[in-house]
Amino acid sequence: MRRGGPGWLRVSGFELQIALALAIGVTLSLLGALWLASDLAEQNLALGFNPRMVGRVQAVPVLYGELFQARKQLYAEQARALARELPRGEAEARAYLAGALERVPRLRRVAWIGPDGAVRAEAETDQPNPEGEWRAAPARVSLVDGGTLECTFAIEAAFFAELAEARDLAEVVRTVDALGAEVRRAYFRSFGALLVVLAGVAALVGIALARRTTRRVSALVAGVARVRAGDLTVRVDPGRSSDEVASLTRQFNDMVREVREARDRIVYLEKISGWQEVARRLAHEIKNPLTPIQLAFQQLEARWRAVPGGDPEFGRLVGEVAEIVREEVGTLQRLVEEFSGFAKLPDVKPSPADLAEVMEDFVRTSPQLAEAADLEIARGVGEVPVSVDRVLLRRVLANLAANAVEASRPARARLHLGIARTRDRAVLTVADEGPGIDRALRGRVFDPYFTTKSEGTGLGLAIVKKIVLQHGGEIQVGERPGGGASFTIALPLREAEAG
Amino acid sequence: MTADRPPAPSWRSALALTLALGAGVAGAAEPLQASVSERAGRLVATFDLPTAFPAEIERQLGNGLTNVVALVASVVPERGGSPAAAGARTLEILFDVWEETYAVTVRDARTPRGRRAVLPDFAALRTFLSTQRDLDLGPAGELPPGPLVLEVRLDLNPVSREDLERTREFIANPASSGRPGGGSRSVLAAMASILLREPEEGEEFRLYRSSPFAAADARGR
Repeated sequence: MRRGGPGWLRVSGFELQIALALAIGVTLSLLGALWLASDLAEQNLALGFNPRMVGRVQAVPVLYGELFQARKQLYAEQARALARELPRGEAEARAYLAGALERVPRLRRVAWIGPDGAVRAEAETDQPNPEGEWRAAPARVSLVDGGTLECTFAIEAAFFAELAEARDLAEVVRTVDALGAEVRRAYFRSFGALLVVLAGVAALVGIALARRTTRRVSALVAGVARVRAGDLTVRVDPGRSSDEVASLTRQFNDMVREVREARDRIVYLEKISGWQEVARRLAHEIKNPLTPIQLAFQQLEARWRAVPGGDPEFGRLVGEVAEIVREEVGTLQRLVEEFSGFAKLPDVKPSPADLAEVMEDFVRTSPQLAEAADLEIARGVGEVPVSVDRVLLRRVLANLAANAVEASRPARARLHLGIARTRDRAVLTVADEGPGIDRALRGRVFDPYFTTKSEGTGLGLAIVKKIVLQHGGEIQVGERPGGGASFTIALPLREAEAG
Repeated sequence: MTADRPPAPSWRSALALTLALGAGVAGAAEPLQASVSERAGRLVATFDLPTAFPAEIERQLGNGLTNVVALVASVVPERGGSPAAAGARTLEILFDVWEETYAVTVRDARTPRGRRAVLPDFAALRTFLSTQRDLDLGPAGELPPGPLVLEVRLDLNPVSREDLERTREFIANPASSGRPGGGSRSVLAAMASILLREPEEGEEFRLYRSSPFAAADARGR
């Protein structure tokens, strides 16, 4: 059943099957997802790296080049227009050039350079460029009568930043396009790796989840094996769950407990039956000679008393012996009666009853008990329906009460009677505050003829247990909290009321 | 204007065009014009690749993106075998669409940090690229006997480790447009970026072979 490896590494076959099923389920799902995702990736790559798109992206720098060309042509044309209208007088030229700065867009500086290289007139603006950061774009025009007109125009610096960014992107796109097949393979490898990882995780999660169930199933299997080997003390922990496995475990525990109780009951009843036979024979064998003995001695005593003038010493002796014989015969007769009573325990004749009511009836109709002991009755529940033989149950209560009273001597006994109920059991408790029963002797107190008292036959508790077992119940002896012995009788609740 | 503009021709189309023009494919009729010589204890190679950069490739090299030409030159026995000496050089070409010039950064064993040249037009660029001088092939050791050839392998825009890293970042977080920083929002994309490997060496390259020469020729020059 178990595979190798210590502790949590041990994986049962059941766990392995569940984990395998999960891993297969996940793998199949992921394979489907892999196919779909691969197709999707292929579509996206085909869309994102469409040759036309790649071509257009790569053409962006050229478009900027054409934009720059257009600007340069524009600036050259504007410079030529300025040159055509340039006055030949220097003062007029300065005014003309100053006005040109306001008329001509993006013109930042203009200078008239004479044929000798000297600056005849110039103008320059220090106003900020309305289009923001700029770079200088020169335009030079030769004048008809010699000299040049040198213009400096502004071109937006943003164009160059955009060009650099477009070039970066285009180069990346070009590389990705060149690596297209490898990119596809990389995605496929990623899917594969994720598939393996997720399937592994699913298997681990499967094992972890399966263990919550399989560990309990394995414990149940082990429990069944122990029962099969004859161990009826086994109990499997059902855990805190309320699922089918927990229910099965609880039912298994109940079943094992019932089997154990039934076995104990049968064993005890067989043993008691044997002791009853012994008691019946003893009673018979003792009872038969008692009457002749008693009659013979009565005749002897009567004859002696009828003869006058006898020896007074001998007469006194006869009287003392007659007293002893009567007492011992009486003791033997009581013993015979107890043996007979034990040997002839009647069969149980159950009838519906409330266990609490039975107990209260017993207390009410047993005045001698109230004389011998102080009683404390605890009844914390409502009706406790059972099916019992009232007469026999009274005998149980009487025997337990007598046992408690005798155990408490010479002190006055204090008896605690209690009634309770569990899910399927009625529980009757009889406890005292006496010396209690030694733990080592508790296993024998229900054996016939076992007693720790100087007087007594040791049959009272044996009778109690037999009656309880005959009612389908069980009795346990223990210790009362605070001191003393405690007898707990559990009887099955009446069928319709159980559960 | 932009909508009707055809995409820039790819290297494949340029390659096909080169093939159509009968340029120097390995084993083609026209051998690579090259020389291998020993200088200060090191082998250096100089070779011309006039057919490797046809006029039609201007459109690609002038597309405003960084284009990389990777050259690997090796001295191998004519009948095949392991290279006896080898060296590599990369040329990063960026057409500045504002300045309208070509900036070329050359990196090889001698200049690992690169040396930069700015060329005014494609003709100058083509000349610059076609003639490769003094490519270091490593220490001048014993070259094997028998006829040798200089093989030059040319790749345009091969995927470098930096490119691969940028691609990984792009896959992990496309919103960042390939710029570093910013975690991935997708586990799958993050894993894909980690599992992205370098591409296996493909067949999209050009191979040029020189005429056979002897080891003594290299040492004697």
